[in-house]
Amino acid sequence: MKIIKQIGIIFSICWIAQIIESILPFDFPASVIGMIMLFALLVLGGLKVDHIREKSDFLLSNMAFFFIPAGVSIINYFDVLKSCVLQLLVICVVSTVITFAATAYSMKLVLKLMNGRRRKGEQ
Amino acid sequence: MQELFASPFFGIALSVIAFWIGVKIQKKTGLVICNPLIIAIVLVSAVLLIFKIPYESYNVGGAMINMFLAPATACLAVSIYMKIELLKKNWLPIVVGASCGSLASMGSVYLMCRLFGLDSAVTASLMPKSVTTPIAVSIAGSHGGMTPITVVAVIFTGILGSILAPALIRVFHVQDAMTAGVSIGACSHAVGTSKALELGETQGAMSGLAIGICGILTVLFSLILM
Repeated sequence: MKIIKQIGIIFSICWIAQIIESILPFDFPASVIGMIMLFALLVLGGLKVDHIREKSDFLLSNMAFFFIPAGVSIINYFDVLKSCVLQLLVICVVSTVITFAATAYSMKLVLKLMNGRRRKGEQ
Repeated sequence: MQELFASPFFGIALSVIAFWIGVKIQKKTGLVICNPLIIAIVLVSAVLLIFKIPYESYNVGGAMINMFLAPATACLAVSIYMKIELLKKNWLPIVVGASCGSLASMGSVYLMCRLFGLDSAVTASLMPKSVTTPIAVSIAGSHGGMTPITVVAVIFTGILGSILAPALIRVFHVQDAMTAGVSIGACSHAVGTSKALELGETQGAMSGLAIGICGILTVLFSLILM
């Protein structure tokens, strides 16, 4: 019964998230609405991690498995991919390096500014 | 015979067996490139193509597996919540870093798609590729992208990130563990996070936190920009 209750809690949140998605005037993914709702419930104390621990561990630790059907549907898109596979590879490699650099340098800058201010405050 | 393949049990059983083989291969070889999801996708696709089983038949069971993606994404909230103390203490550098990373990712993908003359559907499929798969798929889907291309690009990016991470940390002189963690999470989500965990506990926690924050930020940016 414990697991069924947990499934009930998480699926209810997902269903309410879908209702909210359909009401919102812009495209915002229901799964992310569900994530924000669940986070808010945990922070505000409406829900404890213990209430959903087993089910969420199951979903998080098997996350990769749930993507198999989405990935397999690539066989319907072979024609599109054939024409641009090289470009896709280049885009993935270059943008990964750029993303890493942008994150690392912006954080370095903020940390430096914060340390500078802290030191100033101490003087 | 064909209608037997249209049973939901067929699609689910095939997926489980393929994934199980993938996990076994990864454990045996220990290589990031032998990602269980990639292996499972290749195996299932091969079975469907070799035995001429229509995708629609496989997807009777596949759709049931697919249904679990939304609750799994929602549960990312639990993993962010577990690290809330870390976030409270360092929210400014983390949020700034994740914002710059998400924008740089989307911007660089967009510019290169333009450069290579790729059409808008492919561009929409690739733009969210640095965030975790469920969020990337929802963004691509709501902007006219082809979600299977997104799935493959996201996994490939994750594998790239986890292979390149140690070299990138050296090249860009990242000494701080928190900065390294957020950077890895921002460019290569959960697959990268598994590498970040090997580098250290702080790197792992920060990388995990960056998955959720970059995910939400990318959704917001895609609403404004796409």
